[in-house]
Amino acid sequence: MDALALDLLVASMRIASPLFFVALGGILSERAGVFAVGLEGMMLAGAWGATIGTFLTGMPLVGIVASIVGGALVASAVALVAVRFGAEQMVTGLAVNILTLGITSFLLRMAVGGGRAPVIQVPLLPVWPVPYLSELPWVGPMLFTQQLLTYAALLATVPAMLLLFRTQMGLTLRAAGENPTAVFATGSNPMRVRMLAVIASGAVAGLGGAVLCLQQVGTFTDGMTAGRGYLALAAIIVGRWMPVGALVACLLFGAAEAVQLRAQALALPVSSYTIQMLPYLIALIVLAALGRSARLPAAIGVAYEAPKRPSA
Amino acid sequence: MLRSLPRALRIPSGAKRAATAIGASFVATALLILIAGKNPIAAFSAMFYGAFGSMDRIAFACNKSTPYILCGTGIALCFRARIINIGGEGQIALGGLGAAWVAFVWPQHSAFMAVGTALLAGMAAGALWSGLAAAIHLWRNVHEVLATLLLNFIALLLVGEALHGALGEPGAGFPQSSMLDNAYWLPVLATGSQLHLGIVIAVVVAVAAHIYLWNTTGGFALRVLGASRSAAIYAGFSVSALTMKLMLVAGAMAGLAGAVEVLGVHYRLIEGFSQGFGFNAVVVALLGALNPLSVIPAGLFFGFLEAGALAMQRQVGVPSSLVSVIQGLTMLFVLAALASTAQRKAA
Repeated sequence: MDALALDLLVASMRIASPLFFVALGGILSERAGVFAVGLEGMMLAGAWGATIGTFLTGMPLVGIVASIVGGALVASAVALVAVRFGAEQMVTGLAVNILTLGITSFLLRMAVGGGRAPVIQVPLLPVWPVPYLSELPWVGPMLFTQQLLTYAALLATVPAMLLLFRTQMGLTLRAAGENPTAVFATGSNPMRVRMLAVIASGAVAGLGGAVLCLQQVGTFTDGMTAGRGYLALAAIIVGRWMPVGALVACLLFGAAEAVQLRAQALALPVSSYTIQMLPYLIALIVLAALGRSARLPAAIGVAYEAPKRPSA
Repeated sequence: MLRSLPRALRIPSGAKRAATAIGASFVATALLILIAGKNPIAAFSAMFYGAFGSMDRIAFACNKSTPYILCGTGIALCFRARIINIGGEGQIALGGLGAAWVAFVWPQHSAFMAVGTALLAGMAAGALWSGLAAAIHLWRNVHEVLATLLLNFIALLLVGEALHGALGEPGAGFPQSSMLDNAYWLPVLATGSQLHLGIVIAVVVAVAAHIYLWNTTGGFALRVLGASRSAAIYAGFSVSALTMKLMLVAGAMAGLAGAVEVLGVHYRLIEGFSQGFGFNAVVVALLGALNPLSVIPAGLFFGFLEAGALAMQRQVGVPSSLVSVIQGLTMLFVLAALASTAQRKAA
């Protein structure tokens, strides 16, 4: 039984790891007052960049950089349409998801496939056990015997927390999500803050795509993120817009999927589909239970418009 | 100069906006095809002939448009009242499930009863799902976008669950139900053609929605709610009752779309049969300027686009995924144009 439990823990971690960066990125965007429905597209663009960058140069580092650029590019479209022009944020997110699904599939075929879906393989990043720590029971295999980007994602929580809650920049970012007019009053430009936050969120979410490609799948297939961006969105809700909370939620969702994959071996009384519903159900229940007290940034979803100069 | 034109001859601003958005996304896509080293004119003409080349192809494209028009009409009504319902994806899936389920548990033998019960069951299932989203939104103050979005995924999984359980075809390697009895198949409009009754249903629904929106008290309340929430409250309309009603109507239309897809195209329930329909219907609704009548051409445009793209891929070797690029870009352009007009009006 211990072996099984340990296997489950390790698997949960592995399944959750692509979600970490995506959720962190989403928090940046939502804290600044912009719904992050576009995460799915940003992650997909990141996965595309990571695969093609690594495939063309043979260097995973180039792939990682390309994933950041890819995610940021998709996010720029959101920043322009939803923030600059003030369009409905959620619907804009849906639009970029549709667009990215098409454009990654098209460019994959045209750039390297000569019109067909190419068969490309990139080597997976190696597992790097942390010396000494990886020999600890339980936490060793779960936390300290991972691939490099997983460590990066876990560690990124610390600077993310510090940035959001201990710096002037983070305060301005959160203020843009709570009360953009107050940001304007302090002399900053809330629209600029929001646009930068959205683009940064895309860069970070793109890294999530790199994790998926370089640590797990090793290639790009059409729509390979398969709803993970939306799952990360649910994790943000369950984690109540806190980096650590979202991380725990991702791990929880990872565990749900790990259990689901082993549903037959575990002889569970429920079907794998029911278990897959859990993340979305939990997110809905959290939202419904918190109701009005859900700590959604107060001005999220509300387009910001600069106050008009009084006419002379 | 333009202003002196008689009212009937003036082009409505929504149509201009839609045409500009479509034009701009075609130009952007042409550039993409050029960069990829293919001839955009050859690609687009292959697309055109693929969509309009023969009666069969036109029928195929019309069938593809049907769910977009049905679901898009409901979404247009919701959006017009500023209720951002993006739950079409799940409501369509459940509509298909409801139709198939009632066909298997309560079999009918006359075609009229069979199709009637199945379509009604689809509508009821869709309305149940949108009603659930509306209830969560109204009672617990959850943002309706989050409620509808999250319920989408649960609905898709429910379909999978049903197909792996009671509804699944024994021995089929794929998650699908058994074939429905002949009585359940939607009649075709002309013998020998594959064009089924769905497109007629869709047009009737869109026209009914148009009349509702512009010629009834309910439609008036809807428009007031969309223009100003506080004005609606001041006028004595119950915002929550209106929201619930509109969500139920939109869900029923989406459910009908799912039922029509099952009864008219596949003749069985298949996992993933509605993939992308609900999200694309949002694009269709926006492209139709949230006007039920204009949703008809917008939906037809999407159907013909998709039908044409399949031919383009076969003939010119340009991947059909280009359709998603055109759809996504069109949606972004319409959104940007809508928002900047609103900003200019406010200024």
